[in-house]
Amino acid sequence: MGKSMSVWYLAAAAFLTLVWAAAAEIVALPIIPSPVLVVENLTDIFMSAIAIHSLYSLWRIGAGLLLAVAVGLPLGVLMGYCHRCDRFLSPLVYLTYPVPKIALLPILMLLFGVGESSKITMIFLIIVFQVVVAVRDGIRSIPKETLYPLYSLGATFRDIFFEVLWPASLPKFITAVRVALATAVSVLFFTETFGTRYGMGYFIMDAWLRVNYLEMYSGIVVLSLIGLLLFTAIDIIEQYACHWQYKQ
Amino acid sequence: MIEIENVSVKYRTEKDIYTAIANVNLVVPDGGTCAVIGPSGCGKSTLLKCVAGLIPDYEGRVLINGEEVNPKVQTIGFMPQNYGLLPWKTVVDNIRLGMKIKKAPELLDRNVIKRLMRQLGIEGLGHRYPVELSGGQQQRVALARVFALQPDVLLMDEPFSALDAITREEMQDVFLRLWRKFNVSTVFVTHYVEEALYLGQKIVVLSAYTGGISQVIDNPLFGGKDIRQKPEFFEMGLKLRNLIKKDWNQIWENQ
Repeated sequence: MGKSMSVWYLAAAAFLTLVWAAAAEIVALPIIPSPVLVVENLTDIFMSAIAIHSLYSLWRIGAGLLLAVAVGLPLGVLMGYCHRCDRFLSPLVYLTYPVPKIALLPILMLLFGVGESSKITMIFLIIVFQVVVAVRDGIRSIPKETLYPLYSLGATFRDIFFEVLWPASLPKFITAVRVALATAVSVLFFTETFGTRYGMGYFIMDAWLRVNYLEMYSGIVVLSLIGLLLFTAIDIIEQYACHWQYKQ
Repeated sequence: MIEIENVSVKYRTEKDIYTAIANVNLVVPDGGTCAVIGPSGCGKSTLLKCVAGLIPDYEGRVLINGEEVNPKVQTIGFMPQNYGLLPWKTVVDNIRLGMKIKKAPELLDRNVIKRLMRQLGIEGLGHRYPVELSGGQQQRVALARVFALQPDVLLMDEPFSALDAITREEMQDVFLRLWRKFNVSTVFVTHYVEEALYLGQKIVVLSAYTGGISQVIDNPLFGGKDIRQKPEFFEMGLKLRNLIKKDWNQIWENQ
């Protein structure tokens, strides 16, 4: 992100805070506290009360994401590169892709219990399909002709993977992870309202039940910041790893 | 030397078997060039892919320097129509890629690449990406990539067809200069009669009707000075055109 872009992002953040402050003034109810109070409360309780929850949430997202990449990437490569595998796997992926994964949560909780594994599996399920489809399409969009000079030099699959398949699918792969992460954060919130005493979802719902709106808002701000942090991290990785895309 | 002996390639579709090329016999001597020309659908590219070792199932024999074609054994430079440059690699890395795959560290000599790039007029472009280059520049990079390998054979699929007429003629001269220097046996596919006449010592006319060779012409005009301006060039071009048209008509009559 350039310097001029950062200025625009700061301006947008300031604008949103102003809208929030204005809404708090107009509604004048405890359900919309002023951003100043929320930030004050956040600085007071972050280290003592929120940090541990945010770490739990980050760990679940991170583990789900890693698992999704570990499974989705090879599967996507296989489906994109080997037509016979694709013919067999595509129907499986397409039939399971539209199933709303969140509806499977009860089953996951029965299978894996209400602990960490069902939450991580949920996030894994949400991200993995996007990764598979994106990597497969990324590899499929490589013109066959591009591979001919390498084949005619006796390139091994290893060569083809590292020189062509991986870099060609990387931009689509990263975009898929970015899109999927937004859903993953919402789903994380939902899963954390069950069977745990840790995580931002638990913290927000708990504050709500205690009618402590300041804490609830602090939790929402932190969860949003986690989302923003992940987005920015992915953006930076993308600009570094795919900088060739921005040349023209 | 490239020897193609009685080569046929059949593609199996779900319904039937389709013959792309049938019983092709051809010899390209060491350091010679051979143009393959013919109407679209006559199997020009199939023939080229066969020599490149890209088609595993073919009948007959393809020999390069007396040995059955094998990408692991021979160094086969293949230049596809879209140049085959990788958009995520800089010009220098694109040129180096072939050597990297061939695992030929002795070729990874910086000076060889530098000299080639200078000869091709792209010495200042090493750190650019393909999207930042014009079509002609991309073509030059693709040529640098194949010639840097000092290949046993060079195969080009409609090499200069994406360029405008002026750039194309310029690139044909660039190619000839390099080819004279490196003396690589070359087969290229083209649908431009003039290109076949200018670059091909041997011109092979493929027939879409039979899937085989309808004629092999030893091109008397090859290598002549300023040949493109001479009346013989036009006459020969006309003759070739008529040959290809005749083949087309045969298909129509038989349908």
